[in-house]
Amino acid sequence: MPIARAARRTAVRLGAVVLTGALLAACGSSTDGASGDGAGGEVTVTVDLFGSFGYKEAGLYAEYERLHPGVTVKQTDTEDEADYWKSLQTRLAGGGGLADVQGIEVGRIASVTQQQAERFEDLRKYGAEALENRFAPAKWAAATGKGGEVLGLGTDVGPEAMCYRKDLFEQAGLPTDREELAKKWATWDGYLELGKRYKAKAPGRSAWIDSVGSLYSIMIGQEKERYYDASGKLIWEDNPALRTAWDHAVEAARGGLSAKLDQWSPQWNQAFAAGSFATLPCPAWMLGYIKGQAGEAGKGRWDVAALPGGAGNWGGSYLTVPRAAKHKKEAYELIEWLTAPEQQTRLFEKQGNFPSATGAIDEVAGAKDPFFSGAPIGKIFGDAAKAAPVQVLGVHDQNIAQQITNALSEVERKGTSPEEAWSNARKGVENTID
Amino acid sequence: MTALAPPVRSGPSRAGRTLHAGPLAYAVLVVAVLFSAFPFYWTVVAASRSNADLAKVPPALLPGPHLMRNFEAVLEEADIGRALLNSLLVSGSVTLGTVLCCTLAGFAFAKLRFRGRGALLAVTVGTMMIPPQLGVIPLFMLIAELGWVNQLQSVVLPGLVSAFGVFFMRQYLVQSLPDELIEAARVDGASTARTFWSIVVPIARPGMAVLGLLTFMAAWNDFFWPVVALSSSEPTVQVALRQLGGGYVHDQSVIMAGTLLGTLPVLLVFGLLGRQIVGGIMQGAVKG
Amino acid sequence: MTLTAPPAPAVPRTVPPAPPGAARRAWRTVSPYAYLAPFFTLFVAFGLFPLLYTAFVSLYRVELQTPGDMEWRGLGNYTALLRDAYFWVSLRNTFTIGVLSTVPQLVMALGLAHLLNHRMRGRTFLRTAVLLPYATSVAAATLVFAQLFGRDFGLINYVLGLVGIDPVDWQNGTVASQIAVSTVVIWRWTGYNTLIYLAGMQSVPVELYEAAAMDGASRWRQFFHVTLPGLRPTILFTVVVSTIGATQLFGEPLLLEGSVSGGISHQYQTLGLYLYEQGWGFFHLGRAAAVAWVMFLLILVLVGLNALIARRRSRKEAGR
Repeated sequence: MPIARAARRTAVRLGAVVLTGALLAACGSSTDGASGDGAGGEVTVTVDLFGSFGYKEAGLYAEYERLHPGVTVKQTDTEDEADYWKSLQTRLAGGGGLADVQGIEVGRIASVTQQQAERFEDLRKYGAEALENRFAPAKWAAATGKGGEVLGLGTDVGPEAMCYRKDLFEQAGLPTDREELAKKWATWDGYLELGKRYKAKAPGRSAWIDSVGSLYSIMIGQEKERYYDASGKLIWEDNPALRTAWDHAVEAARGGLSAKLDQWSPQWNQAFAAGSFATLPCPAWMLGYIKGQAGEAGKGRWDVAALPGGAGNWGGSYLTVPRAAKHKKEAYELIEWLTAPEQQTRLFEKQGNFPSATGAIDEVAGAKDPFFSGAPIGKIFGDAAKAAPVQVLGVHDQNIAQQITNALSEVERKGTSPEEAWSNARKGVENTID
Repeated sequence: MTALAPPVRSGPSRAGRTLHAGPLAYAVLVVAVLFSAFPFYWTVVAASRSNADLAKVPPALLPGPHLMRNFEAVLEEADIGRALLNSLLVSGSVTLGTVLCCTLAGFAFAKLRFRGRGALLAVTVGTMMIPPQLGVIPLFMLIAELGWVNQLQSVVLPGLVSAFGVFFMRQYLVQSLPDELIEAARVDGASTARTFWSIVVPIARPGMAVLGLLTFMAAWNDFFWPVVALSSSEPTVQVALRQLGGGYVHDQSVIMAGTLLGTLPVLLVFGLLGRQIVGGIMQGAVKG
Repeated sequence: MTLTAPPAPAVPRTVPPAPPGAARRAWRTVSPYAYLAPFFTLFVAFGLFPLLYTAFVSLYRVELQTPGDMEWRGLGNYTALLRDAYFWVSLRNTFTIGVLSTVPQLVMALGLAHLLNHRMRGRTFLRTAVLLPYATSVAAATLVFAQLFGRDFGLINYVLGLVGIDPVDWQNGTVASQIAVSTVVIWRWTGYNTLIYLAGMQSVPVELYEAAAMDGASRWRQFFHVTLPGLRPTILFTVVVSTIGATQLFGEPLLLEGSVSGGISHQYQTLGLYLYEQGWGFFHLGRAAAVAWVMFLLILVLVGLNALIARRRSRKEAGR
């Protein structure tokens, strides 16, 4: 019966071909998820973050692992939040590759609560509602879903100040005392005025500020309403406060005060070592980043003063547990511990991320940082945190902000007219929101 | 993207080459080789320096002492080790699978008679020029539906589709597999399957090797689809490099160290089999 | 393996093959399809279906976060596309970068192939060396070039500074950034095209050269009057392939700065990158599908145009 045999053999071989492909593919997927859960309750909790949360640098994971034998924490980190968010959305849509803990920026938290609450764990399941009085009310409310779900725990907030290079100021003949500077740049006009003086005598090729985008971002952080009003209506185009921030940024760009660097780009990172700019608008979480970039060599060169134009808030984050996480309970335990006042206090003292837990805020009031020439960062950022407005959040905050800073970069680097840049920003926002 | 060069007649016609190259020709070629090679040298220089070195004027032009430190940093921060392993798995399976599928189909198109042959071949060849990039949206919706986002099979299975490969193997077999051999096997009563394994495959082997080599390089270097389908937690080398370029690590020197690590394997393949690759491209070449 | 069948009785091999029976004939007609099955299964699922389904998706509103929800939109995605100024910008960029990268690449490749076609020492080495960039990935090559093209600390600006040229902003300048992107393309593909041309040159019949030499034609005249006409099909092929490649440039512009919008004012955003920005930057998959379909039509037009020009030229020369 050679026919049948031949047919069978062919079938078998074809099957083998197909199976080989499938098996090879399966081999690939079996390496998926490094979280080896060996015997004896060994668990690897994966944490995926952006920017600089500073947990690793502050030694908090190491301590957690010591307190919880059998638990290993593994962190991945993307510097640029916009890239991080894109990748997170792709994985949420496809249901694969999510970490047990995902960080969420405050500018995205409205998207989480309003658009994708069902993709994240309601932390009440693990008793999170008991933590409410730990946090500032606004911080807590922003991560609460329509049905009262608790979708994330607050990490830090971003009270704003101005970081500056004392050594460069001195070389340019500007005052270096933080109190004196705070008075001189009590307004943004005063800040730009000093910038012009700096530019006239600037050492080397250094500029006054890293980019006008960061100038805009820190200024818009001083406003209660930015892109949406409290009813959820899009108001950015008619928001006079936004327009004022825009105009100041344009003025800085046209005055040649900027080093024209994209924040988070490799060139921007290199500029820390090279000393390409004298001031850097700094929300509290930027302090750790500056330390990391400038390194030991930067110690004592940097200082912090109160922000021109009053208090504001830029950023701050949440830790969430996606539905598709592998170790939800362990993940919750980890984030509860990381966001507890004691840990937030330590994080601030080591890295500068300012606590969102009310108990920790008083705790850090006296903190000083030797890296920043002994500046009383506890007081500076504490005052800013108390005075900062509670911002109205919207689904597309972050996207709109990015289109505006992009447009400002055009003015700064290409000499585009402000009117044209504004209309470009509008086009970008239209594309975003669709 | 894959495409095929028009078949090139080979013969004794080596007209140009009877002329000797003058010194000017050598000079131009040396410049071209330097242009080709300089970025590799520069990668080594930048990968062995500190970030602060790279922000100096004048820039460093010789390798520095920090290569190992930068390798360690990139292995730690961007998990290039895992990326290398993943790329090996993906490129390996894509290569094996593609060569098998294409040889089977190429044989059928070359030597078997069946209804619809012309039409099927036309569809295959017709899509050869269409960049697969254009199908990424449904493909993404498909793997999202299957829950395959960020899993390696989402890159392997689409990677197995190579219309070029089928056409390449068909051309190869049309030229190098005599009909008489198959006829003889048939007269002997060998099944088509048996004919395939004991007659076609041995003859097709050189073609399969060239196809495998080109497929491996293309799979290793594939960019668009892996960037869409995978992420930093399950990267191929190219995805990891995209992460490096998108602000995943701080240091330019560390980025260059990652680039160097990610390129070394293909350079190794190239170093060992460069002549075969040159030959393969000149026979009828791939791009993509 | 689950494909187990009951063991068949062994048939002695010495039995002469029976004339093909009905079953056997049936198998003969079916078996070719079995050979095609693995490829075509994959091809339909992961090649053909996505390509065709793109057209369907482009008529719906589909967002990345909810790929399962499709909302009918008719031609809405296309009109939104045509109204978006950045679509036109990226179309223009695709064209200019295409020209900036393809033309120098092919001209240089032609020259190099001509030189390599001489008798010389180290031929194999030289061929392999010029092909080296081809082995590098888009990502690796672009990251290295992005560093070389750095505005403040890049080597290229440093060298330009030595000869008295002010630093060029290779990221933000429109022309400069497009040159930077094109340079990566040129670097990676010149060697490859050189080999294609070299293969083409070696197939030009030797008699043509002999005849030309007898007519007293110089080397250069031989190149223009014998080599180039002989290479025409090869040149057409490389032009088509490079054109298609240029249309879908993606990795180079993406990694120059890591920006999905191709620079702050989209100055080097190509259609490929625009598609990615719509789909994975703004999460509008339906809109991205419309971009893909437009690119598809564009490629068809370009290839058709190429073929037309080639035919027109050859007809003209035939009539000469």
